[in-house]
Amino acid sequence: MSAARTGPVVELTDVGKCYTKYDDAPMLLSRALRFRPGTKRSQRWAIRHVDLGVERSETVGVIGRNGSGKSTMLRMLAGVTAPTEGRVAVRGSVAPLISVGVGFHPELTGRENIYVNGTVLGMTRQEIDERVESIIEFAEIPDFIDTPVKFYSSGMFVRLGFSVAVSAHPAVLLVDEVLAVGDIAFQIKSFERMRNMKDAGSTILVVSHNLNAIRNLCDRVVVLHDGAVEFVGGTDEALSVYHDVLDRAALHDDGGSGAAAVITTARIVGDDGTTTSHVRAGEEAVLEVGARFNRAVDSPAFSIVLTTESGVPVYIDSTYLTGTRRFEAGEEATCRIRFAARLTTGSYTVRCGLRWDDQGEGQVTSRPLLFYVSGRPMVSGAADLGAVFEIDGGPGGSQPEPDQQEMPPFASNS
Amino acid sequence: MTSATSEGFVLEGERSSLRQIVTDVWRCRPLLLMLSKKDFFVKYRRASFGMLWAVGLPALQAVVLAIVFSRFVRFETAVPYGTFVFAGILPWSYFSSSLGTASTSIVDGQNLATKVYFPRAILPLAVLGANFYGFLPAVAVLVATALVTGVSLGPELLYLIPACVLMVLLTAGFALVLSALHVYFRDVRYVLAAALVAWMYGTPVIYPLTRLGGVLQDIIKANPTTGMVELFRASIGAADPGWEGAVAWSVGWTAALWLAAAVLHRRHDRVFVDLL
Repeated sequence: MSAARTGPVVELTDVGKCYTKYDDAPMLLSRALRFRPGTKRSQRWAIRHVDLGVERSETVGVIGRNGSGKSTMLRMLAGVTAPTEGRVAVRGSVAPLISVGVGFHPELTGRENIYVNGTVLGMTRQEIDERVESIIEFAEIPDFIDTPVKFYSSGMFVRLGFSVAVSAHPAVLLVDEVLAVGDIAFQIKSFERMRNMKDAGSTILVVSHNLNAIRNLCDRVVVLHDGAVEFVGGTDEALSVYHDVLDRAALHDDGGSGAAAVITTARIVGDDGTTTSHVRAGEEAVLEVGARFNRAVDSPAFSIVLTTESGVPVYIDSTYLTGTRRFEAGEEATCRIRFAARLTTGSYTVRCGLRWDDQGEGQVTSRPLLFYVSGRPMVSGAADLGAVFEIDGGPGGSQPEPDQQEMPPFASNS
Repeated sequence: MTSATSEGFVLEGERSSLRQIVTDVWRCRPLLLMLSKKDFFVKYRRASFGMLWAVGLPALQAVVLAIVFSRFVRFETAVPYGTFVFAGILPWSYFSSSLGTASTSIVDGQNLATKVYFPRAILPLAVLGANFYGFLPAVAVLVATALVTGVSLGPELLYLIPACVLMVLLTAGFALVLSALHVYFRDVRYVLAAALVAWMYGTPVIYPLTRLGGVLQDIIKANPTTGMVELFRASIGAADPGWEGAVAWSVGWTAALWLAAAVLHRRHDRVFVDLL
């Protein structure tokens, strides 16, 4: 880990990885006997034409939908699999933040597992001897260290795994969806530890669906979509791009073909009248819904349901009590729902619903729209209540400092 | 730091160079040692007799076989029959139990293998290492048995050293080839399990080579495991005439297997993971 080296620590040049998928198991017998001539195979490029350079001391997040190629990319960075085309270069040691209990043997004690796992990560026996106490201390399991890890809670597992991985002082740390477990105190601690590593020159790559973790840790974010880099750049912009990607993929729920009404369009409208998935905290947002009525419906109710990324309701409202008007068969209607985005920075989902009484109750829901709220990163929770801290006394009675306390990096905003 | 990735790496294309794999295996020897130790200790941790089983199992097998075969078939052997069988069953059980576990080791090690890079050859080799820990004390028990049963031991005892080397290299050759094949053809473990049963009777474990005549003896001599067993017999002065030929066959097989292993691992080392 020499500090003087220049140039990217991690460099991907036109990287592609092709998996051959066997539709049947590649049976020796059927091949040899030409029983079924040519086992069906199909080839799939998990990622292709990917270029990326990551500098020393940089923390880069990788986000994308399932199957977008994140894991493949991480595997190549770990050196576990080789690219089909292109070039992967990593300068310096790599340590994966081993996910829950990987490489831990349940019958071995915590201490024994530290030695096994440390060796797997390339530490020498002497290095482990020197660091074992600090590993135990950091993992907060001194009382259980000589107990077989099969008796550990999942939190203890993760803490120990994290503790061993970071003590290997790798030049490149790969974090793969690991830290969501563990209590908030440990999350803050591990977040700090990763920052220290970064300050000491480590490069960190984080693959996660937890956008809060990404936002709190990363300098830059790569958005992968269908095996290609959709975007590389600043965190806020990347998250907004990611939401567009998610939004494109979301599905319609048209309530079945016989329904009296269908929701034909649903979008969040930006200032300039275009579709967006990025809303600034505190500003007004507009959800625009288009509906088509197949039969005449009297006073259907439009509703809005806004939830956090993890599905916790933030705001629900409807026209159920106020009523709307009569819609004729074949009518196309548009409903604009204006609301103030008094939310903290993070991802939210909004849906519009339509309910009516029509020989029994009917209802349809729009596809969920994901959007990203930016601009209030230092507060946490779902709603932005805009707290003002007034503290009396003190010399001059000056305005108090704004709340600078860091929110737990991996807590979801619920 | 001593791991295959501690200096960083460059990957271009899916093939690895043989030299890189060999260098990496050498660099990963602390890992090899650690995995071997772990496998060995974990295996016996929950048993009340613990590591005694490492010696106890082949000894019990020898006793059973000795009783059965001395009752129904009488073989003329240079040393008492029980000792004769024990000297055969030792390398055989090392070979068969190592292969059983090692052939599936790359697939079984996927938890580790999909997260961290090290040459995949480490996984089958670690199985051999683990079994060797149990094998060593069993050799001491063999020597003790020989003494107790009145076998006069001489300088032939030194044959134990090349015998162990041949046994490990031969088993490793098979293990490296089979573990690689098993990633692609998951039938390997079943074929192997079936083959091992027959294979033992095709190896002079419980009978002396001299018992067979003509072509059959030549065929059995060409069996890769015959030379391995015969070399152990030689160390207690119980080798059959013509055992040198069998050893030559074993050495030849070992070389061929290592060549095949080199080809397989060079081509697939970095892409085994894609099929796990």
